[in-house]
Amino acid sequence: MEHTYQYAWIIPFLPLPVTVSIGFGLLLIPTATKNIRRIWAFTSVLLLSIVMGFSANLSIQQIHGSSIYQYLWSWTINNDFSLEFGYLIDPLSSIMSILITTVGILVLIYSDNYMSHDQGYLRFFAYMSFFNASMLGLVTSSNLIQIYIFWELVGMCSYLLIGFWFTRPTAASACQKAFVTNRVGDFGLLLGILGFYWITGSLEFRDLFEITNNLIHNNGVSSLFATLCASLLFIGAVAKSAQFPLHVWLPDAMEGPTPISALIHAATMVAAGIFLVARLLPIFIAIPYVMNFISLIGVITVLLGATLALAQRDIKRSLAYSTMSQLGYIMLALGIGSYRAALFHLITHAYSKALLFLGSGSIIHSMEPIVGYSPEKSQNMALMGGLRRYVPITRTTFLLGTLSICGIPPLACFWSKDEILNDSWLYSPIFAIIACFTAGLTAFYMFRVYLLTFDGHLRVHFQDYSSTKNSSSYSISLWGKEVPQAVNRNLPLSTMNNKVFFFSKDMYKFDNNLKKCIRYFNTSFEKKYTYMYPREVDNTMLFPLLILVLFTLFVGSIGIHFDQGVIDLDILSKWLTPLTNLFHPNSSNSVDWYEFFTNAIFSVSIAISGLFIAYILYGSAYSFLRNLNFINSFVKGGPKRIILDQIKNGIYNWSYNRGYIDIFYTRVFTMGIRGLTELTQFFDRYIIDGITNGVGIASFFIGEGIKSMGGGRISSYLFFYLFYASISLFIFLFFL
Amino acid sequence: MTSYFPWLTILVVLPISVGSSIFFLPHKGNKMFRWYAICICSLELLLTTYVFCYHFQLDDPLTQLEEDLKWIDIFDFHWKLGIDGLSIGPILLTGFITTLATLAAWPVTRNSRLFYFLMLAMYSGQIGLFSSRDLLLFFMLWELELIPVYLLLSMWGGKKRLYSATKFILYTAGGSIFLLIGVLGMGLYGPNEPTLDFSKLTNQSYPVALEIILYFGFLIAYAVKSPIIPLHTWLPDTHGEAHYSTCMLLAGILLKMGAYGLIRINMELLPHAHSIFSPWLVIVGTIQIIYAASTSLGQRNLKKRIAYSSVSHMGFTIIGIGSITGMGLNGAILQILSHGFIGAALFFLAGTSCDRIRLVYLDEMGGISIPMPKLFTMFSSFSMASLALPGMSGFVAELLVFFGIITSPKYLLMPKMLITFVMAIGMILTPIYLLSMLRQMFYGYKLFNVPNSNFADSGPRELFVSICIFLPVIGIGIYPDFVLSLSVDRVQAILSNYFHR
Repeated sequence: MEHTYQYAWIIPFLPLPVTVSIGFGLLLIPTATKNIRRIWAFTSVLLLSIVMGFSANLSIQQIHGSSIYQYLWSWTINNDFSLEFGYLIDPLSSIMSILITTVGILVLIYSDNYMSHDQGYLRFFAYMSFFNASMLGLVTSSNLIQIYIFWELVGMCSYLLIGFWFTRPTAASACQKAFVTNRVGDFGLLLGILGFYWITGSLEFRDLFEITNNLIHNNGVSSLFATLCASLLFIGAVAKSAQFPLHVWLPDAMEGPTPISALIHAATMVAAGIFLVARLLPIFIAIPYVMNFISLIGVITVLLGATLALAQRDIKRSLAYSTMSQLGYIMLALGIGSYRAALFHLITHAYSKALLFLGSGSIIHSMEPIVGYSPEKSQNMALMGGLRRYVPITRTTFLLGTLSICGIPPLACFWSKDEILNDSWLYSPIFAIIACFTAGLTAFYMFRVYLLTFDGHLRVHFQDYSSTKNSSSYSISLWGKEVPQAVNRNLPLSTMNNKVFFFSKDMYKFDNNLKKCIRYFNTSFEKKYTYMYPREVDNTMLFPLLILVLFTLFVGSIGIHFDQGVIDLDILSKWLTPLTNLFHPNSSNSVDWYEFFTNAIFSVSIAISGLFIAYILYGSAYSFLRNLNFINSFVKGGPKRIILDQIKNGIYNWSYNRGYIDIFYTRVFTMGIRGLTELTQFFDRYIIDGITNGVGIASFFIGEGIKSMGGGRISSYLFFYLFYASISLFIFLFFL
Repeated sequence: MTSYFPWLTILVVLPISVGSSIFFLPHKGNKMFRWYAICICSLELLLTTYVFCYHFQLDDPLTQLEEDLKWIDIFDFHWKLGIDGLSIGPILLTGFITTLATLAAWPVTRNSRLFYFLMLAMYSGQIGLFSSRDLLLFFMLWELELIPVYLLLSMWGGKKRLYSATKFILYTAGGSIFLLIGVLGMGLYGPNEPTLDFSKLTNQSYPVALEIILYFGFLIAYAVKSPIIPLHTWLPDTHGEAHYSTCMLLAGILLKMGAYGLIRINMELLPHAHSIFSPWLVIVGTIQIIYAASTSLGQRNLKKRIAYSSVSHMGFTIIGIGSITGMGLNGAILQILSHGFIGAALFFLAGTSCDRIRLVYLDEMGGISIPMPKLFTMFSSFSMASLALPGMSGFVAELLVFFGIITSPKYLLMPKMLITFVMAIGMILTPIYLLSMLRQMFYGYKLFNVPNSNFADSGPRELFVSICIFLPVIGIGIYPDFVLSLSVDRVQAILSNYFHR
């Protein structure tokens, strides 16, 4: 048993050889490396499976033995300063590593097929293996510097993978945006680390917790400074987990390949921020202001993410906002101190969201041959619809994922979300009301995504009715020659045309509008593609989906309380015992089943009402209702309706324009930095360099002047001599 | 243990003396000169490594391999060489970078004899500078550097090469005047005969006013070389115009001479003045990081952008020197080495890509990643290294500087917090300019209207050069004790001056 712990250092290093060998292979012997590309993919899956075996073993030992192991090596030794490297195996890291490896393996298998026609197949696997390595390093690290190191490395992997299709200008700016936004978080993280180093003189977790708690209890450190440092640490988590002020990178990050979105931007890397907060919770919990701050940020993100997801047309983008909102739930749970619920939701959400993203990937994959390879079109839900006939298996898995995120009982996310909602009622009613409202919104927008994608008829083929003469105005090549601002520029037009997909008020004139909007969306395709239909993807891609469905179905059970005689602890509580004991030394795990049922019924009813509203507005019931002239009678409302419309438009515009936050950031920060840049550039060029050049020019003129004076003509010498002599004589005579 | 064999003299004299015989070689095309130069460089590098492996004790903070020959007796001028833990790193860096720069200079065909000779002359001068133990010798070798750079710049540069070369020579020669004033002032001060020996000067004390004046004189010379704002404007012009192999030498080694001199003379010999001036150094360094980073963002010229980025990175060195802590100083030395590698590699890659696409302005470029994937890979890797990605050398250096300023007992809490905060803002600005440079150069898609637009990717030689530089960058980043173990004892010895007095 001890042996596994001793060799646990190998966990982050195992996926690394693939990256190194692919990297050098591609640089030095590209052809040979490319010929055996499947072997590389197989190797990376194999190595990751070994890691999974390791971490499963460790997790089982954690569940039974539940003790914390730590090993350290020195990294740099100075006389007054030493940095150590080590690994820490505790429940948190074992949970995270098992999450990373399971999702990682499935995503690798999936992307073998998804990326098989891509030129960058090997590059993709190199990046993925490197990401896995650094993410595993992050979760097993034992001090703050190590966390920082891997924190930046996963950020770099995310940068590389978002910019994977680097010929697209949108991807290019998205990856830069992601890196810079994350760097803002790293800035906070580094300052926080330095601040805590200054306070405690240590970077290692356990020393840090002890010393900090001692100091705070004895008033050994000014509470203001400690709060500042803790908030700075939290900024790192805010950026990585896409919380409110720094969430802007996540939706843009969907420019990367879909398997990446599933692994990095839904399941693992965005969970790193949660992981950091969970890891440092002993510090945060000692400073109540920071806990309040965390829960406030969490609840803002919950609401913001849900409202922004309401009107997205891009399927991956709406999933991204949903991720943001769910991460907000987890952050809220951490902020109110319910550690177990947060980790539970982290696990369930990771599997469900990975399932949804992989499902959306297979939808995109099957749409691509029909609408073209631009993300503007292949990810556009306005062009989908009725896919349930063509991709039945994907549809079933996607539906299960959707229901899980919505919080419908037997599925995973229900259990965890219910727990968070319960705990938030205990903390603050306002937060709880917002959280419950957002649970309804979640059900609404998730089901909207499902209905727009799978329900109704395939809207691509409506283009047959529309004339094709306008179509050449908006052509997008495979390599993405389109200017990045095109979306923004078309905003007024698209909001006009697409209102139909949001609220039902325009539905009675759907027939007129439909042509317009379809004409807008569907642009230059070849005629021959017109009658193609989407096909179900290959088995290699379906296999991970099915495995994830199993996870989504059953992973909730680790957190359910089973009454088994004396010990009525669930697996998760048992797993987390050493950590939860840190926070709540005398908490009893008794569960009142009656209370549980009433709460569950409440949250499920909210979710179902959300589903129902979505079904009314977007479902195929639309035609049914129209036949009954139901909508016409419903929408004739008089003055009240106008106000209602304005509200709807307001919400729609808010959501479609991403809450105007991106525009605001562009205006303020980008323009501000540009202005500063121009100012310093001007200063540097015309003032600092100007002085230098001015000295040069002045010396040139002086030299020329002297040269022309000293030209060798006796007459000019005589002239100057007499001139100065007369002036001095003049001065001498009159002034002295 | 003293070795009687004059290893250091051989090391200093070998490149220039053997290099001068390049003029007597029969003219059989450039290939011969190339191979001759590269052979001398690698021989020198191997010899240096051998000497340092077998005749140098790492755990000894004293000066080793000392040689002392009288040169001019009247004012006690000696040919005195010796190395310690501080200079061993820059000497190895010099050998490494110069060898690779010679390899990188293969496309130079015009008058290549003279070109290689000048490179070798620089090689001698730099090793001599880093190993000299006599003030006047230090000054002479400092001046010796300028002439090859001037010639390399004015003969093989770009369009505005004469302007840049003149600017370079005037700036640095102007700085050297102050250096000479300092050297003479320091040497001639004292009751008895003049002394120019470092080891004797270490124990000398001066009146405070004189010490400040001397310190200031040296500081100006180093500020031009290092560069410290506002004396940096020669650097972007010079780097923008020079051939990329010259740029490698300039960015890799020449800039390091300033920082080295700052530690060697200002810190070691003038401790009082240094502790008076160090807050100003820290402030200037902090401003420099932000200022140069934001100026770099405004540059359209690719090479100038990288040049400003090196100005910004040298700010960390200055802060490390100003922090007067072991960690800060170690970080500064590490930053000298790390930026030596990274800066040289970035200039090399920028030069090769500019030569291929025949454009220098960033906004005209775009989409060259498809024809040149290897160049793209290497450029991205070094940009990441330059923006202090963990696992690479820049990160360790900057982290040590951060810790140095945090733990420094000299400063109060509020100034420390402010300085750390502003330095960390530089950490946000760095990726903005580097990544937008990458984006403008490589990302996107562009149809080249040039008729022969089949750009060749990096050949094996260029790949070799970049990988050779990449390995130490990664190596230092993963295990910084490689380099820190060289300098740690010496740093301790220097800092002990500050606590005893």
